[in-house]
Formats: sequence, C-alpha cells, structure tokens
Amino acid sequence: MAQIAQRTTGVVRQFRWKELSLLIVPALILLLLMTQLLIIRASNDPAITLDNLSKIKNLPILDGLIPLLGFLAAVLGVHIVLNIFFRKADQVLLPLVALLSGLGILMMTRLGPDILKIHGGPIPNLGSHQLLWVILGLAICLATMFILRNVNWLARYKYTWMLFCFAVLLPSVIKGITTIKSGAPTRDTLGIGALALQPSEFLKIGVVIFFAGYLNDNRDVLAEGSYRLGPLRLPPLRQLGPMLFMLAIGLLSFLIVRELGLAMLVYSLFLCMTYVGTGKKSYAIVSLLAFVMLAFIGYSLLTYVQARFAALAFNPTNWANFTPAQENFYQNNGGGFQIVQGLVNVASGGILGSGFGMGYPVTPPVIDADMAFTAYAEEFGLVGLFAIIGIYLLIVHRGFRIATEANDIFSKLLATGLTSVFALQTIIIAAANLKLFPLTGIPLPYLSNGGNAILANFIIVGILLRISHNTAVEREGAF
Amino acid sequence: MQLPVFLLILRLLFIVLLYLFLMQVVIAITRDLRKTAAQADDSEGGRVAQALGHLIVVDSGPSTIVQPGMRFDLSQQTTIGRGPTNTIQISDNFISSEHTRLWFRNGVWYVQDAGSVNGSFVNNQPAREPIPARAGDIVRVGYIQFKLTQ
Repeated sequence: MAQIAQRTTGVVRQFRWKELSLLIVPALILLLLMTQLLIIRASNDPAITLDNLSKIKNLPILDGLIPLLGFLAAVLGVHIVLNIFFRKADQVLLPLVALLSGLGILMMTRLGPDILKIHGGPIPNLGSHQLLWVILGLAICLATMFILRNVNWLARYKYTWMLFCFAVLLPSVIKGITTIKSGAPTRDTLGIGALALQPSEFLKIGVVIFFAGYLNDNRDVLAEGSYRLGPLRLPPLRQLGPMLFMLAIGLLSFLIVRELGLAMLVYSLFLCMTYVGTGKKSYAIVSLLAFVMLAFIGYSLLTYVQARFAALAFNPTNWANFTPAQENFYQNNGGGFQIVQGLVNVASGGILGSGFGMGYPVTPPVIDADMAFTAYAEEFGLVGLFAIIGIYLLIVHRGFRIATEANDIFSKLLATGLTSVFALQTIIIAAANLKLFPLTGIPLPYLSNGGNAILANFIIVGILLRISHNTAVEREGAF
Repeated sequence: MQLPVFLLILRLLFIVLLYLFLMQVVIAITRDLRKTAAQADDSEGGRVAQALGHLIVVDSGPSTIVQPGMRFDLSQQTTIGRGPTNTIQISDNFISSEHTRLWFRNGVWYVQDAGSVNGSFVNNQPAREPIPARAGDIVRVGYIQFKLTQ
C-alpha cells in the first residue's frame, strides 16, 4: 500500500509541472492580444465606447477567439504527449516556442487584411494559414522526437545528408544558371503542387547534421593538423575534402543561386562548428579572412550584392532634398524604399509601441515575411522588442545548455549546431531589418509568415528536446 | 471608461505579462542550473573517493598496447576510444576515435557503441542500442575483450 502511494506521488512529482506553469502566462498574453485586436476591429466606428461595446451586435469576440483556443489546445496536447512519452525532455523550450509562434499567428491575423494592394494584399486568411502551419509544425516536432530514438543514427548517414543538401539545392542552381544574366536575387522556392517549398530552410538542418557527424569523426585529425602552409597547419586532404564541398554549397548559393542569406548562414555555421569542434582559433580566423575576401569578390562581381550594400549606405534623413539619383534609387524595386519604410515603422513604434492592431506597419513590401521584425517593433515598441529578443536569447541559452549536458560528442555538436543556426538566422534578419546588415530574404524564426521556416524550426526544437530527453534518461533512468 | 483608456490598460497589461513570463522562465532556469551544479559537486566528490568499477583485459588479440591483466578504472560516464578526449584512451588502429560508451545507473552498467567501425559487444551481443551489463560480463571493444568487475 505504501509502495503504491509512493509510486503515485512519484508520478505526480515526475509530471512536467514546470512546463505547465510556464504555459499559463503565454496563454494569457495571447488571449489578451486577440481580444484587443477584435475590439479594435469592431470599434472602427468612432462613436463606440466601452460602455456600449456590449451593444454591438456583431462583436465576434467569442468566435474570434476560437482559432487561438485551438492553438492553445494543440500546445496543451503536445504538453500531454511529452508527459506520457518524454518526461525528461527540457521543460522550458516548449513554452518559449509556443509564445513566439502564437505571437506569429496573431501578427499574421492582424497584418493579412491590411496588406496593401500594391504588395499583393489583402490576404484575409493569412492568420489561419499560419495557424495551420504551426499546428503541422507541432505535429512534426513530436514526429521527429518519436522517429529519432537514437540520435547517433543521424551520424551514421552523414554523407547521405551531404548529398541531400546538394540535391535540395540543385533545382535552385539550375534556375540560377538559366537566369544568370539578369543578376536579380532569386527566391529559392520550388512549386510542388500548391505548396511552395523553400529548400534552404531544410538545407540548413542537413548542413548541421553533416557537420556534426563529420566533426565527430575527424575532430582529432582536424585539431592536430598534418601539414604546414606558412604559419597555418592544415588537416590532411582526405579530411578537408568534404568540408570544402560543404563550403562550395555555401559559395554556390552565393554566386549562382544568389541567395545572400543562405550563403551567410552556411558560412557562419561552418565557422561556429569548426571552432566548437576543434577548439582552434586559427581555423576561425583564417575562415573569417576568407569570408571577407569572398565578400569583396562577390561585391565587385554581383550587382545584387552591390544593391544590398547601397541600400545599407543610403541615408534617408535628408529626404526633403533628395537628388534625382537618390530619389530614383529610393523608389526603385530592391532599393532603399523597403528598408527606409521599415525604419519608419520602428521609429513610429517608440518605447511603448502603438499597441497591437493600432499601428500602420504595412507600408514596406513583404511586411509579413522579410520585414516582419519591423511590424513587431511598431506595434509592441522597444519594450516588446526587448522581450522578444529576450525570448530568443532564452531559447538559445537552453539549446547550448542541452548541448553541454549531452553525454556523447555527436549530440553535443548537433545541439550546438542547431542552436547556432537558429541564433544566426535570428540575428542576420533582425540586424538587416534595422539597417545594420544587408537585407536578405530569410524569415525570422516563428514570427514571420512562411510554412517551411516554421516546420524547419519545429524540427530543430524536436531534435533538441529529444537530445535533452536521451541525456536525462541515461543519467537518471526513465522514471 | 473610455475605449482608449481601456486599450491603454490592455497594452500595459500585455507588457507586464510579457516581462512576468520572462522573469518566470529566468527563475526556472536559474533553479535548474543550481540543482545541476549541486549534483555535479556530489558526483565529483564520489568520483574522487573510489572508481565505480573496473575493466580488466582478458584477451588483447594482436594488440601490443594493452596486455591481458591490465586494469582500467570506470567513472559514472566512461568513453573508450582512440581519441584524446576519451576517459580510457587506447591508441590502437582497430579502435575508433570514439568507440564505446559505458554509464552506471541504478546499480547497472549500460554499454553502447559510439558509432565505431569494429563494433562493441556485451557477451558477444552487438551493443548498438544500450545493453545492460553486470559484474562478470565480457565487454568486447573491437577485438579487445574486457571483464567488467566492481
């Protein structure tokens, strides 16, 4: 009898209470924002005050909250599944990710109907699309956790992953070669049926798995170095080959596919992982110098890179007396307009923000994807922006912590790589939206519109959760 | 109450809740960090006191680096391989840089292959998935056979 009682208290204690308690506040935040949005939508008539709010016949607050309640139910479902099958998985990651993707859904609901006609809008069902993708993403996150029983299984097929990366990039390369004369940046989308797949999102996961598996096997050889080239010790060619191949993928996407963001992502990931894997600063410094050199070559060869940098150097503050050349550049597609309007968004947000649903962040093109960061900046203000960056930081912190806790080297490298790629993507696009970095077409994880990005990021979270679960089970046992 | 005032309250409430959530997460994380730090201190203390078990070479095959009768100490988490980061480093060509992992939980040793070329075995059973091993079992790493003892 006492044993049974002990076991039940054990089960109660083993329940993921921390995760559940951390999910309460995000649910409140999302419900509050949605209510606010519905009230604002209903009160476009200025005669309405709070007292006669109840008298509006068609105030759809309860109906309007149903999709959001569905999302919360899905998150709760994931929480319950984790409780049954993966009790020891990290408990902080799910609430953080749930809040971010919930904010993403709300922002898309808010932006969709307001997107300007010249930018391809309005898209009234943008929010429900995003909701569907997020629910699909949650399902895929769980599926990843179920399939990946033994994380080391991934390391066994690392060259398959390398080929996968190459195959995924191939259609874009062909498209890039056929349009090489135009010099315009491509968006690497594949139209398969009604789905527009963006392979670069999945490419980045493949690259991380390959690097992790590859460094796991060759770390010692790489760290020692076998022959000298001036002051630099290089590893033997057999070990260097696959790595150069991976860099070639980065270069291909830079020169031929003309995807600046992807190239930057692959290259910085390469820097991070070689440094983490070998612990040698010389590799990182040499690769960084090579990067600067390549960037310079790219700048002088490729017109699209030049346009991006010109937009970066563009000074909009004397807008009242632009020269005709400046005016022309500003109005041209791919010129300064997008970034400058983004900055106007950020500036009009101020410290407290204009309030969700009360701003007008739709002037820049592609506000729902590339420029989404500025929409959040306007509506949530500097305060909200800090909080969002804080959430990202906490996710990254959790990822690196899972990496340090992991028992075997491959899991460590994999977790580090996945976290780095997540962090790099966030930092590149956030900096680009604030005109600190050339603008590239990569989405802000979880917050911007784009099904592929959401799926890919949920796969990342799934792998991280699985690694943390495996680590804890090996340490303490399943119960 | 006017609508703008109500909306202002909602906005402020949103910010407060957002930071409340961040604070909650940070508190949870620091508590977690403290707990693992305390656990690490405990296990460090235990490791210094005594090894949890030993591996004794029974059959070294053609290897000249290890001889039968050699004894290796095992800690809670032990890795065997050729690389310098392993707990037990055996620089033999037939051993992969990360060959085998052993860990001790609830009085039982678990053996798992760490992606080696020549495989790890417990009583001639391939250890691709973790296999429990007790004192007296034969653990084979490549062609080197060890006996697990307490």
